[in-house]
Amino acid sequence: MAIAEVEKQGVGVSMLRKEDDRLLRGRGQFVGDVRLAGMKDVAFVRSPIAHARVKGVHPPEDLRSQVVTAADLEGVKPIRAVSGLAGFKPSDQPVLAFEKVRQVGELLAMCVADTRAAAEDIAARVELDLEELPAVHDMIAARDKDAPLLHEDWGDNVFLETFVDVNIEAAFDAPIKITREIKTARQSMAPMEGRGTVAYWDKRMEQLVLISGSQMPHIVRTGLAECLGLGQHQVRIVSPDVGGGFGYKGILLPEDICLGWYAMRCGHPVRWIEDRREHLTAGANCREHHYVITAYADRDGKLRGIDCEATVDSGAYSSYPFSACLEAAQVASILPGPYDFPSYRCRTWSVATNKCPILPYRGVARTGVCYALELVLDAVAREAGLEPHEVRLKNLVQPDQMPFDNITRKHFDSGDYPEALQRAIEAIDVKAIRERQKRGEENGRLIGVGHSIYCEQGAHGTSVYSGWGIPMVPGHEQATARMTPDGGLELRVGVHSHGQSMETTLPQIAHEILGIDISKIKLVHGDTEYTPYSTGSWGSRCAVMAGGAVAAASRDVASRARKIGAHLLQVHVDDVELVGGRVKGPSGSVSLEEIAHTWYRLPQNLPDDVDPRGLEGTVGHKPKRDTGTFSYAAHAAVVAVDPENGDIEILDYVIVEDGGKLINPMVVDGQIYGGLAQGIGTALYEEMNFDSSGQPLASTFADYLLPGPTEVPAPRLDHMETVSPYTEFGVKGIGEGGAIAPPAAIGNAVNDALKDLGAELVRTPMTPRRVLEAIFAATNADSQDHSDRGGRT
Amino acid sequence: MSLSISLAINGRQHDVALNDPRVTLLDLLRERLDLPGTKKGCDRGQCGACTVLVDGRRINSCLALAASMDGAEITTIEGLAEGDELHPVQAAFIEHDAFQCGYCTPGQIMSAVGLIKEGMAGDDPERVRELMSGNICRCGAYQGITEAVLEAGRKAAENAQPQTGNPDTGKDAA
Repeated sequence: MAIAEVEKQGVGVSMLRKEDDRLLRGRGQFVGDVRLAGMKDVAFVRSPIAHARVKGVHPPEDLRSQVVTAADLEGVKPIRAVSGLAGFKPSDQPVLAFEKVRQVGELLAMCVADTRAAAEDIAARVELDLEELPAVHDMIAARDKDAPLLHEDWGDNVFLETFVDVNIEAAFDAPIKITREIKTARQSMAPMEGRGTVAYWDKRMEQLVLISGSQMPHIVRTGLAECLGLGQHQVRIVSPDVGGGFGYKGILLPEDICLGWYAMRCGHPVRWIEDRREHLTAGANCREHHYVITAYADRDGKLRGIDCEATVDSGAYSSYPFSACLEAAQVASILPGPYDFPSYRCRTWSVATNKCPILPYRGVARTGVCYALELVLDAVAREAGLEPHEVRLKNLVQPDQMPFDNITRKHFDSGDYPEALQRAIEAIDVKAIRERQKRGEENGRLIGVGHSIYCEQGAHGTSVYSGWGIPMVPGHEQATARMTPDGGLELRVGVHSHGQSMETTLPQIAHEILGIDISKIKLVHGDTEYTPYSTGSWGSRCAVMAGGAVAAASRDVASRARKIGAHLLQVHVDDVELVGGRVKGPSGSVSLEEIAHTWYRLPQNLPDDVDPRGLEGTVGHKPKRDTGTFSYAAHAAVVAVDPENGDIEILDYVIVEDGGKLINPMVVDGQIYGGLAQGIGTALYEEMNFDSSGQPLASTFADYLLPGPTEVPAPRLDHMETVSPYTEFGVKGIGEGGAIAPPAAIGNAVNDALKDLGAELVRTPMTPRRVLEAIFAATNADSQDHSDRGGRT
Repeated sequence: MSLSISLAINGRQHDVALNDPRVTLLDLLRERLDLPGTKKGCDRGQCGACTVLVDGRRINSCLALAASMDGAEITTIEGLAEGDELHPVQAAFIEHDAFQCGYCTPGQIMSAVGLIKEGMAGDDPERVRELMSGNICRCGAYQGITEAVLEAGRKAAENAQPQTGNPDTGKDAA
């Protein structure tokens, strides 16, 4: 019976989630739900102007004690996230601005009162003397010689320029040459819970405590301590339930530092809860890319090379810890995708503009890269007169090449990319769609089918990040496993869940090894005081890294429990095994409960040479190779485009994914559904626009459109399982993947639908207006322009 | 000047003196009455995280002034389960993996309870999606939410006694 339960709770089981109950009852504790005696509320005075000299910030005289300005913050260091890549220009992000403001929403003063409403009333009375400067709102124009400068001492607006060339000239004589200018919109991560921080000084522990929904509490502690000049032991970060993060909640914010500084001096807790306007306009920006990309190919669709100039709008400052060049540097290294071709060139610019700093969002640069590359491959297919999947199958890395080092020296660990694509093509039934297209639609809509395929590096470690030289380089991931006196287990990890179900999946791993019933395994995370140091939850790394660490720590405890068990059974340790939560010998067994009881409460019964570390262990883990796992997926979509009003409807959607061994398939399905929803948002709806003076134009969810239940179809999922040769159980990181491929698959389907009109969409989101513009441009260009750049919007 | 209101929340009577007439029902629940289960997502009626039932109908509590709630009967997520026993909608949310981070979940559940009470969706997933479209889930658990609402709706229909004169039946969502 015990063994049967092992099979029902371990790795690979779709267990219902342990964290559900409290969340369903409204008993989750998010940062906004924290109530501390004497707590006061903060409202910030933010710059209404994108670029200005700060001549003065004047709090009302009668409320001076309730207002903090830059002049008060003596000794506080600015946020400085440097990259070690050659030529990187660092920026200092002030905690409260003083000489200049460089984005709308930048902090100028902090106001404190009994309620947020009262604090906002104070903020409204702070007078600002700002001398407006010309703003840089366009990343391409920002590189012009006469562009206004954000950071005057730089001499230009470029954080970093990178260049890689692998024999591109060899591709120039290819018979097919397709160039496209492709743009992806600036977006917002928009978790339903925004940022928030409660800060207080713990007098007994002599410690600044920040309760803040954070994906990366240890990194925030390190950065915060450095800015405030505190020892790291003097800072504790508590990350309670986190209402989604998607990258935004990994970042150290100036708001955190402000609250920390104030809490050390004021004698009461202070709270700041980001409102949605602050979130959209001042904080959570991501993903604005511009590509000029050329594919060189033979007539049979074989790729000869890819040549690209990519620009990323990095915003005003380099944010901590990922820096301002994360996206662009990633573009250069991952643009070749899952393909094998001989020539490659890529130049990238990370450009400073008067906008919020660009921050990582689920998939980071991969969503844009996948969109750019996969659109161009479809254009190659159209030029060659081939089906798009035929072109892809000619160029995908083959399973017998695995593990494979690609042209940018990414080490693909395992997988069968062609199989995934073929399954997707069959499931979406391209042949049937082609027949349907020939028949036409009675309502005049145009049907299109499209697909895309990507591979996603996850859980990449020291060897990758040390090369980038940002403030955070992941090393060994640690976990603590500790048996309790009643035979239960505590797991302590430094990563933190913001919806990934770790309270269920990490105990499943411990259960797999120790056999302890999952109801008795408690995950402790989200508190720097109780957990081992970790870079946290990012880069699709938790299952691989924290999961591997939990496995290692559980094995460590298991080996010691076996020794105690063998002693209690009076047999040699080599003659026992741990099965189903019991140490079994040749003629008897003893439960882990009895073993724990003995260690903690009857030590007189332990052997003389018992391991003094007992039933608790902290173990570090790295996969056998730390260059990352490569999960992958093929997505295929059928769309109907209405050429009269530009409406796009997704009629069918197929995903074939391979995440290696899945710890909890139900949880993975949820991640894929969720990624798809966000990918559909990227493809069709979400856009954070700015006007030419740098004013953000989307400040509510009426302007920034999130996909709702009627916009997200029920996809059909198909799973493959190619285990990683390097990780515990063969798992691969997959949390971000669902969000990577949808814009490319939908974009290719739309372009397939429009191909007979000669129209093509090459930017996200593909709004009705852009569909109509593309059709209009193609119709108008028809008579005069037959070049490959005609008719694209 | 303070304004006094009297309202029933989850079956318990509250007499509240409002020292600021601008306070929303959402802020009253969260900041004054220690009922933080109802969430604030946008404070503008655009996300649905703050959905509660007022006299049986679902509303966005961020758009309702507390001062207008005198005499109202309000149900929040905290008042849904009967002790340990989850409300059927809550149970269906677990069964169908209808959430990830759990932040929008109280609003989704209250909206689903309201929807089922309205009796407008029946067994049609497209109707459920349409009538739940005021509730955004950024984790994208719409598939599970739709399945959960359908299942809870079916169960409610099976258990329903023949009723007459329910004033809420047939009313549209707020």
